[in-house]
Amino acid sequence: MDNLLAVEILKVRKRWMPYVLLLVMVIGAAVLIWLIGYVGYHEETESEFADDAFRTFAFPWSIPALLDSGQFWGAAVFVAILTSSTVATEYNWGTVRQALTRGQPRWQFLAAKLVGTSIICTAFLLAALGVGVLFSILATSAEGAPITLDVRDGPSVPEIFLMVLRSALGIIPYGMLAFALAVVGRSTALGIAGTLGYMLGEGIIVAILESIGGIAADLREVTIGHHVASLIAANRIGAGDYNSIAARELPVSADLPDVWIAALVILLYTAAFAAVAFFVFNRRDLRSSDR
Amino acid sequence: MVVASMPPADPDVVLRTVRLTKRYGRRMALADLDLEVRRGRVFGFLGPNGAGKTTCISLILGLISATGGHIQMFGLDTRTHLPQALRRAGAVLEGPSFYPHLNARDNLRVWGALSGGVDGRRIDEVLSLVGLTSRARDKVRGYSLGMTQRLALASALVHDPELLILDEPTNGLDPAGMREFRGLIRELGGAGTTVFVSSHLLNEVEQMCDDVAIIKEGRLITQGPVASLVRRGEALEVTTTDNERAQRIVRGLEGVGAVTRDGDCLVVEASRERAAEISRALAEQQIYLWELKPREGTLEEFFLEVTSEGGTGG
Repeated sequence: MDNLLAVEILKVRKRWMPYVLLLVMVIGAAVLIWLIGYVGYHEETESEFADDAFRTFAFPWSIPALLDSGQFWGAAVFVAILTSSTVATEYNWGTVRQALTRGQPRWQFLAAKLVGTSIICTAFLLAALGVGVLFSILATSAEGAPITLDVRDGPSVPEIFLMVLRSALGIIPYGMLAFALAVVGRSTALGIAGTLGYMLGEGIIVAILESIGGIAADLREVTIGHHVASLIAANRIGAGDYNSIAARELPVSADLPDVWIAALVILLYTAAFAAVAFFVFNRRDLRSSDR
Repeated sequence: MVVASMPPADPDVVLRTVRLTKRYGRRMALADLDLEVRRGRVFGFLGPNGAGKTTCISLILGLISATGGHIQMFGLDTRTHLPQALRRAGAVLEGPSFYPHLNARDNLRVWGALSGGVDGRRIDEVLSLVGLTSRARDKVRGYSLGMTQRLALASALVHDPELLILDEPTNGLDPAGMREFRGLIRELGGAGTTVFVSSHLLNEVEQMCDDVAIIKEGRLITQGPVASLVRRGEALEVTTTDNERAQRIVRGLEGVGAVTRDGDCLVVEASRERAAEISRALAEQQIYLWELKPREGTLEEFFLEVTSEGGTGG
């Protein structure tokens, strides 16, 4: 399996796509920290909004702000595109047929692809987060504020690790959705459009259902986004808000499920998407016309 | 689904299909195909376009599932031991595929890893074998079709397989490349590698293969050693002092098939053992021979005969 993972990572890291996506993520981090945070703070006249802007760029409050935005766009843009592409291009290039003649069980081929892509995604998303934190430290210094975790309700280092884990868990079901769609549809476009469509569409549908009220409103309890919001809310430092470029309302903790229940629901969705992908791939005929 | 029982494993048989069947909806792509490929032989798999050759190869390689029948590779039932069997085989699929953003070495690294891992020295060896050493660090997207075919062969050989399965491997090769390829296949066969090669190039197959199977519309028409199949179409060319009478006389002889005119000579469908009898029968009727010689059949003639409408094979 080590060999398989090594070559899977080789295949992805020698493509230009992850680097372009990393650049997009870094630009997103720069926009959040410098434009929405730092510039917004200096231009804001109302103290409440200025406080929000300050917590967006200043360390350590910037960490949940970066993770919130990063979870949404990281999942939607980076993970969905990269995952769909690594799966579907094997069909486009015809290499999936060639690969399966080498004596590797199908599940192992798919598992290596999933794990390899996950490693690349993790490395690149952490790199983008690292650059975002660096921007935050520079902006905090420029503002003359101290660089310390020792603030009111500030996180410890293990808690920061936990915050990153929660955000990562919020990315996984969308990544797996992209993976399953790309496997089933053999299409990068379907993986990306399906995942983006779900992420953006879910919010719209939930809003409509809430306006209807009653049982319809309760349906949001089964959505992925509702449970991801619980994880993101748990990352907050103190009671103050921050600005985010995630395309969703800032979560209100009181309405959200318990973090552990949220994690469990997310893992169930992830397992379901994985099961669909593996089941279809294991049983599918790969004809020469399916290149 | 018809349940076909698997015969006991014969160590000399590397690949065997038993009543192999594949149906797509109402269309029968392959019907009850029984093939047997023996160790160290170069086996040609022939058939007109759409006969089911690629379907058969896809079934053997586990890319598609059979509607009925079984496959035995190295004595292993591929329904339960496909990965173990495929580890000992190498394949070149029709229209070989590679990672275009990787160079030849990295592509071979990938394929080698999927086959259980190979070292850099072996990669160098196969690159040299197919003549791609000087282009090994070029990205594959810049390769010509012929170079891609050679790289495909390298990828099939990189883990030193016992069985090589090739689907139309000479597509895209120039005449020199084809000859080189033919030599390489013969060399591999001579070194004990069993080769299963599908092709529509009959001349290539005749020169390259020991055994051949011919399929048409998903059904096996015939299989056997190339030499004996070619001999089955054996004929004699006879030129006499009176061809018209000779035609009538020879036609009546035992062991003689059709007798046709071909320019100045008669083409007599008969084995060369009948030559003396034909000569004597004509001489008794005061018809004398100008010439009598065996007319060697070719695989192409045999193929056209058995695959034409109403053609009957063995």
